[in-house]
Amino acid sequence: MATNPMDNGGDWLGAPLARKEDLRLIKGTGKYLGDIVLPKMLHAVFVRSEYAHARIKGIDTNEAQAMPGVVAIYTGADIKDTMKSMSQPVLLPNLPAKFPTYWPLAIDKVKFHGEPVALVVARDKYVAVDAAECVYVDYEELPPVLDPEKALEANSPIVHEADGTNEIFAMTFTGGETEDEQKKNDIEVEAIFQNADVVVKERFRVHRTGITPMEPRGVLCDWDETDGLTAYITTQRPHIDRLALTDILDIPAEKVRVIAPRDQGGGFGVKAPFYRENVIIAHAARELGRPVRWIESRYESLMNVGQERDQINDLEIAASKDGQLLALRNRGIADNGIGCTGVYWGFVMPFLGAIEMPNAYTWPKADIKLRVATTNKASLTPSRAFGHFPTRFALERAIDMVAHRLGMEPSDLRRKNMVSTLPYTSVTNEYYDSGDFIKVWDNLMAQIDLSAFRREQTTAREQGRYLGIGFGCGVELSGVASELMVPMENQPGYGAATVRLDPRGKVRVYGGDAPGGQGHETTTAQAVASIFGISPNDVTVTTGDTGTTPFGSGTIGARAGSYFVSAVAKACEELKDKITRILAHDLQIEASVHHFEFKAGEIIYLGDTNKRKSFRDAVERIVMWPINLPEGEVGGLDTTAFFEADKPMICFNADCCIVEVDIESGEFDIKRWVTSEDVGKIINPLIVDGQMHGAIVQGLSNAMFEQFIYDDQGQQLTADFEHYKMATAADVPDIEVTYAPTPCPYTPLGTRGIGEGRPSSIPGAVTNAVCDALAPFGVEITELPLRPDRVWKKIQESRQ
Amino acid sequence: MITINVTVNGTAYEETVSERLVLVDFLRDQLALTGTHIGCTFEGVCGACTIHLDGAAVKSCLMLAVQADGHEITTIEGLGGKKLTPLQQAFTEHHGLQCGFCTPGILMNMDEFLHKNPNPTDAEIRHGLVGNLCRCTGYVHIVRAVRAAAETMRQTG
Repeated sequence: MATNPMDNGGDWLGAPLARKEDLRLIKGTGKYLGDIVLPKMLHAVFVRSEYAHARIKGIDTNEAQAMPGVVAIYTGADIKDTMKSMSQPVLLPNLPAKFPTYWPLAIDKVKFHGEPVALVVARDKYVAVDAAECVYVDYEELPPVLDPEKALEANSPIVHEADGTNEIFAMTFTGGETEDEQKKNDIEVEAIFQNADVVVKERFRVHRTGITPMEPRGVLCDWDETDGLTAYITTQRPHIDRLALTDILDIPAEKVRVIAPRDQGGGFGVKAPFYRENVIIAHAARELGRPVRWIESRYESLMNVGQERDQINDLEIAASKDGQLLALRNRGIADNGIGCTGVYWGFVMPFLGAIEMPNAYTWPKADIKLRVATTNKASLTPSRAFGHFPTRFALERAIDMVAHRLGMEPSDLRRKNMVSTLPYTSVTNEYYDSGDFIKVWDNLMAQIDLSAFRREQTTAREQGRYLGIGFGCGVELSGVASELMVPMENQPGYGAATVRLDPRGKVRVYGGDAPGGQGHETTTAQAVASIFGISPNDVTVTTGDTGTTPFGSGTIGARAGSYFVSAVAKACEELKDKITRILAHDLQIEASVHHFEFKAGEIIYLGDTNKRKSFRDAVERIVMWPINLPEGEVGGLDTTAFFEADKPMICFNADCCIVEVDIESGEFDIKRWVTSEDVGKIINPLIVDGQMHGAIVQGLSNAMFEQFIYDDQGQQLTADFEHYKMATAADVPDIEVTYAPTPCPYTPLGTRGIGEGRPSSIPGAVTNAVCDALAPFGVEITELPLRPDRVWKKIQESRQ
Repeated sequence: MITINVTVNGTAYEETVSERLVLVDFLRDQLALTGTHIGCTFEGVCGACTIHLDGAAVKSCLMLAVQADGHEITTIEGLGGKKLTPLQQAFTEHHGLQCGFCTPGILMNMDEFLHKNPNPTDAEIRHGLVGNLCRCTGYVHIVRAVRAAAETMRQTG
């Protein structure tokens, strides 16, 4: 529960404050994109493809055009020559891939069910919907490419004909840089498998699912001859969107401003890519000279975005009979969809998923390869636990299967092979900077009494009740260092923040990232308050407006607790240094910043505590009365700082769950979920708890309920919440979150970025628990979603 | 077009609306009460548009504005007025919201729920919430907030 900020003696780091964001949100006065209305605003509705793969023979817009209130209709043919393609360098990762060339609206061919074909702009949104119904598209159907394995066969129809192949991306992640090194490594790995005591080899499948935010996407663009384009976009990365709009629409960069609304209804990665809808709405606003707004319907959203995972992993583990993991081999095949999504192109997620596959375990050798296939489905778009939900499921499941083969406790096998000394570089060359995995693991085990559970399990089985326990863990990125960001997304990883002090002693922080519910206004204010010894109430945070904020690559990859807040801290320390230089001068003492304490609104000279000044007065003196300053000083207190860690940083977590399975129906009940977390220094424990709860339930919802389904013609059957089933409160358990933190030595406050990767360990842990419950039947589940029908079938198979 | 008389948050309105105007659009676009949100395609599943119609929690995406003629509506803007209700207070104290998009609908639903069931179990709260989807919180803090609000409301009568 929150405590009153004023009750705290000034140590704001770690205080469970109620959030600054809450008041407006619980009173219904938040400002989301759909709440912004501009004078003369027009409404846009898309006409979207009814087919997965078809040639466009013609588009008849006459009837729609003639409808009263319709202002304009755009088709692919109309816009192709008025702008560059969506495949501009700013949106291309520095990775060897076959990037398709595409425009905001389909040209000649549609490539998935739901692709934008035309845009209708009208004075009224109901009229726009009517008119969109009266745009007639003449299609010639083509055979859809739907199976990723078949898509990679030589005789498959090709989705992007110009590429000549459906293989958008392929990579080997182990063994070295050159083909010769990799081949040598493959042979060495094979030799380990030949001689190993135990080999587990399985095909693991994770379905298409992701983290659909409650607020769908939206764009509102305004064009002004003098100022150019102002684009309000539901986005996690306004600064990248700005560059992309500049380059594609050929608008001088100084005339493009992107604003992510202060309130956004969740992002979870889905609002991180640069989307084609942004471009066509901006184009329409410029052409028509009036504001144009598009608010995505849930139907459109589920047709187009939030689809991730969707991967096959043929995984093998070699182990010795005493439980030493010896080698890991994986062949991943990812179903990319069409890949026409700026920044990520679908394949960037499976790319990172392969890198993160080894997790917290030591692998003397590994051979990890990935192939990514283009299909006639919506492009994969990022979803929290970016990329590694399928690889973690496969790995955590396979570890349990090794343990079953060895007759070992899965928790013992994990601990025995866990990385025990950090820093550590994984077999895929991922750098784990700091922390203590064993401490986190032992803390988890201390929350449960495993031997008591095993006794209870045995007794229960005698009574015909099937209890099971499952484990999982996850090494997760704490922000994304430039070292990884530049190749992966062609963007910097640093955090940037402007901190501005005003003459009343108040602080305003500007950040170029764009949060969507993570509480950054509050955590940032706590960090600033703790450094300046003032109240978080005196700190205001502005994010997401490219017109006022320093460049940031976006609210992605747990960057806030790692990179952004570190940049804020750095800027505050610079200002603190200046304040004390001038204060020492005014007090006529020789002192530096270390000789002063900033506490409870005062700056106190530690050499003589009678020498003190209020924070407000000290700031006002420097901002308003810049005379009699030390030599070389100028007035003003406003600075921008950039933070970059030398090496990538991580956080770590572990999960345990207990389930009871009904063997007659296959239904299962999660009786307990307990975690152990290394999140570094905690700024606000309420917010961190909330991040963990949300991520874990997202993982459960993805693993157990949500699934995008395409039929054999590529028709998407799950574009509403009746069919795309998200977990409700009654579907999921309470969550017990516990902490075993190690402060990060590479951030100024010891904080780690948390929350982004957190769902990754969930599908493995819950499935492991169900399989543990069904150990008497020898059930090993290798495919998600984990639903009662699948569990029931597995039980039946084992009985035959 | 039809003229309707409807009282919203205590204010009486006489408004002309098209027959097909959905109630949630009437509230948001015509009355500028944008606290009521739209999270699904008028299918009544997400619950972000939940309001009170004559005191009952209903989904305003499943009604037409003309059906509200002669009725009294409360939206999130009118729930506590200038003050916070114990439920709203509990949501901020227990961090029962993150992005806040689903929150108005949840508050409107749970306000009615607690008046019907002042002493609910956690399981009852969870079942009471099935008409509201939340993506951020995992529902844990929402359940705690509703439980705490129930306690406060019982103590203060």
